Amino acid sequence: MLAVMLREVRMLVTSPTLAGLVVVLPLLMLLILGAVFRAGIPVGLPIAVVDHDRSDLSRSLVRMLDAAPETRVAHHALSLSEAQKLIVSGDVRGAVYLPQGLEREILRGERPEIVTFYDNQHMSTGSLVARGARNAIDTALAGLRLSVRQGQGEAPVQAAVSVNPIPLQAHALFNPAFDYVHFLLAALVPTVLQIIAAAATAYALSLDFGTQCDRQALGRMAGGMVPALLGKILPYTFVFLLILGLSDIALYGWLGVPLRGSLLLMGAGAAAFILAVQLIGALAFVLTRDMGRAASIIAVITAPAFGFMGVGFPREAMSPLAQVWGAMIPGTWYVELRIDQSLRATPFEISITSVLWLLVIAGVLMLLVLAQVLRIGRTERAAK
Amino acid sequence: MSAFINAARAELRGIFADQQVRLIMIAALVIYALIYPFPYRAELLRDIPVVLVDLDRSSSSAELARRVTSSEAVTLAQDAPDMITATRLVQARQAYGVLLIPEGFERDLLRGRQSPVAIYADASYFLMYQRVMQGAAVPLRQMGAEVEMGRLIAQGTMPDVARAQVSPAQQIEVPLFNPAAGYATYVLPAAFVLILQQTMLMGLALVATRRQTGTGHPVWNVLGRMAVWTALYTALLPLYLILLPALYDLPFLGSPAAILVLGLPFILATGLLAQCVAALFRRGEVVQVVLLALGLPFFFLSGFAWPLEAIPDHLNWIAQLIPSTAAIDAVVRHGQMGAELSDIQHRLWQLWGLVGVFGALVILLETRQQAASASDPAQQS
Repeated sequence: MLAVMLREVRMLVTSPTLAGLVVVLPLLMLLILGAVFRAGIPVGLPIAVVDHDRSDLSRSLVRMLDAAPETRVAHHALSLSEAQKLIVSGDVRGAVYLPQGLEREILRGERPEIVTFYDNQHMSTGSLVARGARNAIDTALAGLRLSVRQGQGEAPVQAAVSVNPIPLQAHALFNPAFDYVHFLLAALVPTVLQIIAAAATAYALSLDFGTQCDRQALGRMAGGMVPALLGKILPYTFVFLLILGLSDIALYGWLGVPLRGSLLLMGAGAAAFILAVQLIGALAFVLTRDMGRAASIIAVITAPAFGFMGVGFPREAMSPLAQVWGAMIPGTWYVELRIDQSLRATPFEISITSVLWLLVIAGVLMLLVLAQVLRIGRTERAAK
Repeated sequence: MSAFINAARAELRGIFADQQVRLIMIAALVIYALIYPFPYRAELLRDIPVVLVDLDRSSSSAELARRVTSSEAVTLAQDAPDMITATRLVQARQAYGVLLIPEGFERDLLRGRQSPVAIYADASYFLMYQRVMQGAAVPLRQMGAEVEMGRLIAQGTMPDVARAQVSPAQQIEVPLFNPAAGYATYVLPAAFVLILQQTMLMGLALVATRRQTGTGHPVWNVLGRMAVWTALYTALLPLYLILLPALYDLPFLGSPAAILVLGLPFILATGLLAQCVAALFRRGEVVQVVLLALGLPFFFLSGFAWPLEAIPDHLNWIAQLIPSTAAIDAVVRHGQMGAELSDIQHRLWQLWGLVGVFGALVILLETRQQAASASDPAQQS
């Protein structure tokens, strides 16, 4: 087995294609993803205001909308239809409508309407804009209510208490910095690596495990078909673990994502994850014995895997069948483990389930691969 | 002209005679059309479980809990005696937030003091966090406003005046284009464009890697292939971008004609890009793996799920060279947001610009390839 492993490492070093797929491609993908999300939470998203009041109050509202962290007033639109056009064409992400007579009606106690329109087709951006506008308007209105009470002779401190009898203290559990970078990168890195590791393993097998003659030569070298197969797979396990480790150093070191859990669990989970993913590639190849068809199987399983992980749309809200399909994909459990151990500091006994699932998946895949390899061997011997 | 027909014939054969290419360009489209939307069929997040930690155990705290639980977004599914137990339930993913009502809540409320409550929402899942916060904040604010109004009225203020003083203006939020905030409505139209691009890139790049150097004039060769892509995708593109969204009940505000107008340069640019990808990587297996790995990065680079405003400039420039970036933006804005072609014409020009650039590049590559094989007689045979 060692001989096959050494041979594999030599191949990896000397073949530019193999090295490109196994080392350069994943590193490049990690670099791109890291760069996309490096800036963190989007700030200063452009919005339009339609100010038909042009009063001191409306102007101060516009200033507050501009100063909110999420939003920036990029356009002063003359009408709602102009604002709508700006949203549709993508120049702005939302618009705030301040109707004529706003200040006068507020002073008279007529409760005029302030309307925020936001682009909810781009839901992630739209909800940020809505939140920014909501907070800015809230702050402005609270200031107004305070000054009314102070005008009635209430002391400033008492007025602040009176306008908000049940203050809501909003806390973010587990992710106090509330940074999407944590959240998305923690899931995207394994997803992309899952695709590459499965495909690269199938490719490595296609080089010298495809024909009967090749397999027998490798089998003789390793002293059996099983060691030969392991000898081919394990060197890449180390390489991918190294790449995963490197990306984690970048993520937790350079980008400052918190790591609050057990390194041991993370390491064990990573190893089981990589192995399971590689075995998907191996199974696809031994079933088809053709790289092209194996790649198609791998594509069907790994390419849509991101949606099933529940990172965007939570798994609990999916149909049972979608949950089951997600549970069969190693990345689902590994991403859960990563989120648990990096952001949530989940206790060992809860988080261990993810690792156990990964081991079960890897075990079942291993059995399937071995059964298929043995079956191929038998039919080939029978053919002789 | 015969070079045009020969090239078209060769391309057709390359696509339809090769089982693997057929699998990618046709069968994969069907499979992905089933698998990709699968997680999002439920569309909406309702009644997210939240743990209630009620340390006050008064009638006011019970009233508050009742109001929160009757909101659409969240439901108070479990009670916990303290924060530690509650946090553990969240860690085990049995709940996604904690509503903490501290001791003395009612007492403070009755004495006219501030009586805060706390929401701890699971921020490791973005969507959950937002829904929990929103779901709990609305009933809380309402109750707070009622308390303040009650106090004002008790002090002798007229009810109308009191209401205006508590809430001087009505804040109305109007979500445009995806009013129900459905997740499938949000993500699928963009995903379909990307799937179309990735399968086309992969299939046509495979055809290109397996093609022998042609003899006809490079311009005619490229035009011949472009004609085949156009013909094939005139059938596939409307199926994928118009019929499929309709089958999944996604809103469609656009016109099929405009989708075709946008689709033509998208298809041509993608096909031409496939030729460049094939020339760069040369081997079919490599092309497949590289394109497979690039799917997700392409999606996030397109500026759809992750706003353009947050992507670094230099990366954004590169992203604009990928056909899906312009196509996703244009197709979503037209189909889901009702943009006229004139509103998104910059995207149309961008796609035609890509056709020009990639086209010139492909012709150049083809010319050099022909020159190389002409000077190398061994390859000619």
